[in-house]
Amino acid sequence: MNSDKTGLIFFPAFDWAISPTHPEREERLLYTRDQIFEEGVMDLPQIKEYAPRLATLHDIARTHFCVPRVQSQVTEAHLIAAGSTLQLGDSIINKEIKNGFALVRPPGHHAMRVVHGNRGFCSINNEAILVEYLRRRHGIKKIAIVDSDAHHGDGTQDIFYHDPDVLFISFHQDGRTIFPGTGFTHELGGPGAYARTLNVPLPPGTTDDTFMYVVDNLVLPVVKEFQPEIIINSAGQDNHYTDPLGSMRFTARAYADFTKKLKPHLAVLEGGYAIESALPYVNLAIILALAGADYSYVMEPDYWPGRFKESPDRISNVHRMVDQLLETWEKRDQVDLQKIFGTGKFYQRKKSIYYDTDYIEEDQLEKVRLCPDCPGYIVIESRAERGYREPVRIFAVSIPFQACNSCQSEAYDLYEEFKRKTERSFDYLYLQDKSTDTCISYDKKKQKEWITEG
Amino acid sequence: MYIGIDVGGTCTDAVLLDNGLVMATAKVPSSDNILTSLLKALDQIMKGVPAELIERVVFSTTLITNLIAEKKYDPVGLILIPGPGLSHAHYQYNTDTYIISGAIDYRGREIMPLRHEEIQNAVNNLSAKGYKKVAVVGKFSVRNNKHEKEVASRVKQYNPDWQVEMGHQVAGQLSFPRRVVSTMLTCATRDKYSFFVDSVNEALSRRGIKGTVYILKADGGTMPLSKVAGMPIETIFSGPAASTLGVQALIPPGETSVVVDIGGTTTDLALILSGQPLLSSRGARVYDQLTQVRALAVKSVPVGGDSVVERVGKEILLYSERLGAPYCLGGPMPTPTDALRVLGLTNLGNLDKACEAMESIGQPLGMSCNDVASYVTNLVVDMIVQEIEMMFLQWQQEPAYRVWEVLQKRKERPRTVVGVGGGAAGFITQIAARIGCYPVIPPYARVANAIGAAVALPTLQVSLRADTEQGYYTVEEEGYQGKIDKDPFSEEDALLLANEWLRKRAENYGLETMIEKTEVTRKDVFTMVRNWVTTGRIYDICVQTSRGIMGHIGSRGGF
Repeated sequence: MNSDKTGLIFFPAFDWAISPTHPEREERLLYTRDQIFEEGVMDLPQIKEYAPRLATLHDIARTHFCVPRVQSQVTEAHLIAAGSTLQLGDSIINKEIKNGFALVRPPGHHAMRVVHGNRGFCSINNEAILVEYLRRRHGIKKIAIVDSDAHHGDGTQDIFYHDPDVLFISFHQDGRTIFPGTGFTHELGGPGAYARTLNVPLPPGTTDDTFMYVVDNLVLPVVKEFQPEIIINSAGQDNHYTDPLGSMRFTARAYADFTKKLKPHLAVLEGGYAIESALPYVNLAIILALAGADYSYVMEPDYWPGRFKESPDRISNVHRMVDQLLETWEKRDQVDLQKIFGTGKFYQRKKSIYYDTDYIEEDQLEKVRLCPDCPGYIVIESRAERGYREPVRIFAVSIPFQACNSCQSEAYDLYEEFKRKTERSFDYLYLQDKSTDTCISYDKKKQKEWITEG
Repeated sequence: MYIGIDVGGTCTDAVLLDNGLVMATAKVPSSDNILTSLLKALDQIMKGVPAELIERVVFSTTLITNLIAEKKYDPVGLILIPGPGLSHAHYQYNTDTYIISGAIDYRGREIMPLRHEEIQNAVNNLSAKGYKKVAVVGKFSVRNNKHEKEVASRVKQYNPDWQVEMGHQVAGQLSFPRRVVSTMLTCATRDKYSFFVDSVNEALSRRGIKGTVYILKADGGTMPLSKVAGMPIETIFSGPAASTLGVQALIPPGETSVVVDIGGTTTDLALILSGQPLLSSRGARVYDQLTQVRALAVKSVPVGGDSVVERVGKEILLYSERLGAPYCLGGPMPTPTDALRVLGLTNLGNLDKACEAMESIGQPLGMSCNDVASYVTNLVVDMIVQEIEMMFLQWQQEPAYRVWEVLQKRKERPRTVVGVGGGAAGFITQIAARIGCYPVIPPYARVANAIGAAVALPTLQVSLRADTEQGYYTVEEEGYQGKIDKDPFSEEDALLLANEWLRKRAENYGLETMIEKTEVTRKDVFTMVRNWVTTGRIYDICVQTSRGIMGHIGSRGGF
């Protein structure tokens, strides 16, 4: 069955909020609901509406190290948002639909591999959970994720930083002016996945023209050359000119143009907090663009063509940056990786991660095994401080789905070694083996181990 | 004593109930002048019963549905105010349509004004083309009816004799395209509906019946006949609703069943889940048009006892058309009824003729008369079983917009397949066997629709949306829009207001006794925060009287 329908899961979670006045509250998709229901979008012959479903705890554990356990970090709303993404992923692979839009909340693109709490309104990463699910369930290998949120998709970047089969491109408002303060052009991926991460920090006030320049001259050619089996769009909408948290000047029309050009298989809603002036129009425009329908009648009431102008200086700065990034991409296989990343058995980096929603400070040491035969396993030591409470320390090993046999056994040995150690330098140990879909967690204090298999 | 009457296109069915028992039934052919057949049916069931004993009469009818199907109504012109959003090319309704400037947003704020010369131009054109009926519908008119009211009053000003309907009064839920269809159909069928009401009143008064008179709505609730005049399209699809309620009354309480109503050319399917008929999550589909009419989820499958069976090459095919009676009853073509006759599953018609029909198909294929008959029966059963499975799947996959709705999703399998309608007897056993259920053909299955009408109860509902920042509230069912005069206006206030409107509606309809037991079916509260300050709340509340039927046939108690 080859369908030309667009699948839609609309899950506004009208009974879930981080707190009553938080931007991530019940009201967020209310006017979007009003708009798409009043337009009769669900009755359009091109649209197929699906019911949300719950992701399993194992689906989460396959992607994240939730501390101490998955059930302590996620609410049912998170499982539904992630599960809805999986549902559409299944339907796309089964060819029930040609593409889809998970219009769901809560969002996820700030959630990293290790989850001590909520940051940037995100607890678990919906797109990353989908990627690991598609690989496990449907044997998909190469995936491109394009993040169009105004905030850098640092969680998604973190999870796939060493994965050569995931292309991650994020364009966003310059990290010097907005949360999470990362996403600069020099963040290009680890030694095994160099230039598979590309960041385009845009100056505040960037308009549609520059947005389209980045899309046409960087995003589209790179995605095309990467030849992904699936394209995912982290469809944040806070680049809109009315967003209260962002300072960009994109319009609903431009979001639709971008969607039409990128042709993502799946768009997943991320941020966007201009819940009245942007979301109803941007969401409607994206749905119509995915469905191949005419979106030229969608327009914000206070917009007129030519409303925003940019200075030529800033435009040419962006053009220069795009040229440089394209060059980096094109020469990705010619660079001397040892010169950039050094030699040795492991490449390591230290990270300091702030959880703005939950006020947690995490220090993390991430080591990736440099292996000639596979992307190598990842070892993480992390310590999270939360106010005056005792800090939580974890040790985690992640084996990628492409792992070679020796990396796999080395990783298991390492986990066992740390489990045997008598001194309690870590509270919790984790092992995530994506090659066999096995997730293990160990509580040092209780001396208890949990294993789940997919 | 209660009377239920179902006025269908072919038959008028009636029952008389007393103390939970069926006292009399009637099935008479519907005449062109419905008064004649009404009187005939009444006379049959009321033999020896004094008219004073009749406390209540409930009607259901497919007349409006049939009018729509046959497009037997005066043309209705459209004046639409869609504003920005979907391309205006979507708004094709097979009638003269004028799209004018103006727009309201989801909060009910005017974002684009009307232009009077465009209204005048539309009216002039409609008038030149001879229209006398106009539907005026705006996007988000249910949030603010200002534009619709202004356009309607201008139309009336130019042409006081025209019939003008406004969208916000007909269809209060969100969905502009469905509102257009609902308003157009209301406009089209209003006078035909009044004619039906007059005939009913005439028949009852001629027989001296003074009990209260109700009409069944598509959602299985009733309304006093005299008060419904405003909403004829709520009665479309009350035919299938009647059969479903009838089955509900004829089976034990709490049962999960599939209702299969096999007629001449269509089979209607409905679900009763734990004793409650399933409501459709969106509005009813009337032929190819989507409306906003709240209705039971009834699926029509284009197959029945009179469907045409034909051999094409080496295949035996089943068509949805009817070309007359079955062959064994003197018709021109072989039908599933002939197959049933051959297999001994019905006594209708002539066995030799039926065999002849089956043989005519089977001979070139080298199939015996019996082989063809089982093959044809299987075709019908396959088609119906497939649709039943689809209905369950669709019900399980209905969208959910709240966490609790996702968590409480149920999977339920039917225990019984209940057959009603002329063709049911022959097929029901096989259908039930296929989906692993018990087949049931209840007593009085032939008049289940009239029983359904007789046991139906009035329903009233109020959907209140209050926006404290804008300072106004709307009542969906009334098309009402009013000011909030309390500050602060709390969740309790909103609930009180909703209940007060429910009471008001009940009084208007003379149904005060109904509101003793009400339930809140939706209560969403949205805190509005602008620039980090809470600026107001939106309450979205739905209260209704409890759904249900008067009682179960044979249970004796209560009615």
